[in-house]
Amino acid sequence: MKWFITNLLLCVVLVSARAASSDSLAAPRKWDKRVHLKYKGWERLKPTHAKWQYAGGMGVSSVGVGWDYGKRRQWETDFLIGYLPKKYASKFRLTFTVKQNYIPWSITFADRWVAEPFYCGLYITTIAGEEFWEKEPGRYPNSYYNFSTKIRPYIFVGQRFGVDVPHSLLRNVSFYYEISTCELYLVSKATNKSLSMKDILRISFGAKVYLFRD
Amino acid sequence: MTQKNQISTFLLTVCLLLAGCDMIEYHPYDLDIDGETGINEKNIAIIEETGKGRKEFAFAVISDTQRWYDETEDAVEAINRRTDVDFVVHTGDLSDFGAKLEFEKQRDILNRLNVPYVCLLGNHDCLATGKEVFNIIFGEEDFAFTYGNTRFICLNTNALEFDYTDAVPDFTFLSNELASLTPEVEKTVVAMHAAPYSEQFNNNVAPIFHYIIDQFPKLQFCIHGHGHNITVNDFFDDGTLYYQCPCAKKRAYLYFTINENDYTYEVVYY
Repeated sequence: MKWFITNLLLCVVLVSARAASSDSLAAPRKWDKRVHLKYKGWERLKPTHAKWQYAGGMGVSSVGVGWDYGKRRQWETDFLIGYLPKKYASKFRLTFTVKQNYIPWSITFADRWVAEPFYCGLYITTIAGEEFWEKEPGRYPNSYYNFSTKIRPYIFVGQRFGVDVPHSLLRNVSFYYEISTCELYLVSKATNKSLSMKDILRISFGAKVYLFRD
Repeated sequence: MTQKNQISTFLLTVCLLLAGCDMIEYHPYDLDIDGETGINEKNIAIIEETGKGRKEFAFAVISDTQRWYDETEDAVEAINRRTDVDFVVHTGDLSDFGAKLEFEKQRDILNRLNVPYVCLLGNHDCLATGKEVFNIIFGEEDFAFTYGNTRFICLNTNALEFDYTDAVPDFTFLSNELASLTPEVEKTVVAMHAAPYSEQFNNNVAPIFHYIIDQFPKLQFCIHGHGHNITVNDFFDDGTLYYQCPCAKKRAYLYFTINENDYTYEVVYY
């Protein structure tokens, strides 16, 4: 799993570096008004947006920052920190999430409104606490449980709607909702007719603000 | 209204709409449990009430229903088709991953039983926050109840899950049980998830464990799950049999009748 995450992160960094170094823009789409900030050098490290998310297996509430990249800024990678309050866990717990989004279409209309009718992606979330393990502890015979209680991969699809705001720091605020599921639920559904889609699908929602107006 | 107010009103409405929705989940291992809780306590009250004065009765045993929801539904239907079952004992492993959804879903299926049931803690049920979810939905991991003249002692025997540091099996619980037996108890049946000499059991104390449970009035037999197969063992060569209930995938449950002078054992396929 560690190997998988390292590789995923490496891919993300490589893709973003490549995208950032490319100066040529894709054939313009009249309705796609996503902004390429064209940051140079160290400025590329500046997050392009911040996000807040409610639910979705990464705690009650999560916040974080992310970077968009690609010729049409169609890729986004986010790093989020969330929490489970004591009420919903035996102790207060923190979660850490890496989220990769692919947003193929962004449609600007009536000057300042933006609709992103479909996007998708995956995220990997991990939770702090000694009752969760990444690999089963040594007391178990080899391959006793064969899964991790700590690290959970999710896939999702979502929709996003936003508006440009006249503000010096913010450029645009958007709200999104996502339908997601994790691998444990998918394998459960695969062999059971009696599990409905409602049993395995989860709804989460959140907000994204673009930072750093040029 | 200003734009800021409009946005916060919108957000508040969405939050309220979704708060009541089952599809909102903070974490697969959170303790935000939907639906009925305290199942064992409620069902034991019904079991003890209906069993009063009875010396002959029957019960079914199911076990290891984890991630076999379809098969569990079929088991419930099969048991519901007959009228000669007084209650059902589930000897643990309701969940495969210890996830909250699994316990909730299994409870919803088992709640369709026409007769009351109790659930024991399995080793998979201990994963992550599983035991806490089990404690909320079903109850304590060590418990006992009386049906007519028979005491049923239900025990957590998953010592490996507690790294052998907790009292598993809990001898204090057993000695308290022994000390507080009421006069109507003439016979005893002991239920557990993992049998002595399985890798989950604290095998250093297996003979002592058997010695202690043998102190109960007329120990009839023991029932357990965990191994996913049908087996009958006389582990301690004293004639006390340990009957293993197969997993739901094997599509079979055990059916026992307790009679005045003996008991019967049957494997029923569905």
